[in-house]
Amino acid sequence: MAASLKETVASSAEAPKAPAARPPGLWRQGWQRFQRNKTGMLGLSLVSLVIVTAILAPFIAPYDPNDQSAMLNFGSRAGPSAAHWFGTDRMGFDVMTRIIYGAPTALAVGLGAMVVASIVGVVIGGISGYLGGTADEVIMRFTEFFLVIPVFVVILAVVRLFGIVVVGGPLEKLPYLNLMTIIVLLGLFGWPSIARLTRAEFLRLKHMEFVEAARCIGATRRDILVRHILPNAMPSLVVVIALGIGGAILAEAMVSFLGFGDPKAVSWGQLLYFNYESLKVAPWASLAPSAAIFVTVLGFNLLADGLSDAFNPRLKQ
Amino acid sequence: MGIARYIVRRLLFSLALVLGVSAIIFALINAIGNPVEILLSERPGMPPEAIEAMSQYYGLDKPVVTRYGIWLLNIARGDLGTSIMYNQPVSEMLSTWGWETLKIQVPAILIALALATVIGVVAATRQYSKIDFGVMTGALLGQSLPGFFVGILLILIFSYWLGILPSYGAYSTRNMLWGSTLADGIWHMILPVAMLAFFNTATLTLLMRSNLVDVLRNDFIMAARASGLPERRVMFRHALRNAFIPVLTYLGILFGLMLGTAPVTETVFTWPGVGYLYISAIQQLDYPVIMGVSMTITIMLVGATLLTDIAYVLIDPRIRLE
Repeated sequence: MAASLKETVASSAEAPKAPAARPPGLWRQGWQRFQRNKTGMLGLSLVSLVIVTAILAPFIAPYDPNDQSAMLNFGSRAGPSAAHWFGTDRMGFDVMTRIIYGAPTALAVGLGAMVVASIVGVVIGGISGYLGGTADEVIMRFTEFFLVIPVFVVILAVVRLFGIVVVGGPLEKLPYLNLMTIIVLLGLFGWPSIARLTRAEFLRLKHMEFVEAARCIGATRRDILVRHILPNAMPSLVVVIALGIGGAILAEAMVSFLGFGDPKAVSWGQLLYFNYESLKVAPWASLAPSAAIFVTVLGFNLLADGLSDAFNPRLKQ
Repeated sequence: MGIARYIVRRLLFSLALVLGVSAIIFALINAIGNPVEILLSERPGMPPEAIEAMSQYYGLDKPVVTRYGIWLLNIARGDLGTSIMYNQPVSEMLSTWGWETLKIQVPAILIALALATVIGVVAATRQYSKIDFGVMTGALLGQSLPGFFVGILLILIFSYWLGILPSYGAYSTRNMLWGSTLADGIWHMILPVAMLAFFNTATLTLLMRSNLVDVLRNDFIMAARASGLPERRVMFRHALRNAFIPVLTYLGILFGLMLGTAPVTETVFTWPGVGYLYISAIQQLDYPVIMGVSMTITIMLVGATLLTDIAYVLIDPRIRLE
């Protein structure tokens, strides 16, 4: 009793004085801690930069993404100049424009893949952690199976093979089909780490007092799982999801760099694939997309680092 | 549960895993239909009898399940099939191309391990100092740097601007360096090894430092210091040994993933290794090679995980088998 009182006093002294009677919630406390974390804030600003670029792409891009008119007066592979800040590439596109339009693609890949991965991961991990017993054992073996699949190697093969399977089928008409395949695949192979974490969190939380209290007042099982356990598992999950977004963006860049990307999408990896051959003549066309990928991945990694410090402060001590 | 039973159980599970992955990839490859037909569709005017004869030659006229069974039986006899594009046994190709991959991957891991140990010890002994902060920042940045970016920078600096190192291939086609095959081979290895070592060092250093920091806080370290042992001995005989256990797990993963990361490295440096072979096999729908390479990669990964798990149990007596 005394010890817990001491802890309460210590933690309230540490938290900034809140004017309201209600103590700050889980998320607000996390945000307050996050703000003090320099690397985390740097990550957040890098991620915000990418998001703002993605939203404003049509307004800030100096050219149309499919504008190859630079071929006429500047020529392809022209060096950086006032008209083309990052130069032009092998096909006469303005590199800066392609970089700007690559931001929405990258975010779509990262977010899309993690939405798929989170849904699958949370459902599987949640069931496993909450049920326990044989179901848990079976599900965890299944997860382990997915963990050792050489994901990247499989994705390369599937993207190529799937592209052949759909020819002549109803799916062929879908725009950006190739990109969507990559997103779904990254999601379908990215869930095991989320499932493992969800399971651990559900195992930890299901015997907590507030869950017992909810059960006592007659909350349904669905309510207990979705409204009581899941929100408390979120802080840990957010960290893994932020890391996963960066990972998915990097994976798509590598798949595209190897020549298995979506030829219709404007993506950084695709830009790298088209221009890598002329690295010696036009290094800017390869350096710019690499730097864009680096900044984005770094942003999400630092963000994850900051989030983990903010929500799991015990780990840091 | 005895250790022998544990090992047997893990072995069986690993075998099931490898079989499962092979079935998935085999099914996917066959979902596209007859590879021979697809490849020949680019060449209209091929008589249907010829296509049929080709399919029969590669055994593609039988149902999928039968073919998978045949493939498994052949594997058991050590026969991985014959490449459609190169008309060479896949096992032979794997050993020649695989050697080139190992040549850059293994030295990179060993160099990274040595560097990470040194840097990790330096950073952990001066925790929260400027050096420590610099090391942490560098490692964190290095971890987020995509491999191909590092490769591109290395090529630009050392091949194009300074002109002292080759940017592609494993050997010179003419004018070997100093007229020696060995020197020429090593000369070509420098940049790819540097790129791989860079990434591995960043991750291993972070791991090494945080483990050391944890271990150094233990009572037995204080006891060692209190008994008057020199600091160097405390570090190397007591702290480092214990900090090595988690690093070992990661090393296992690194060795397992070795071939999995090969496609990107080998495309950047046009290196004639397994990754390069795999990319071209996928593009050309050379399905025996796709199966052979992806199976090798899976076996490496599963095998490395298995060995790490077993080593873990043998090394760390705290781990109890349930």
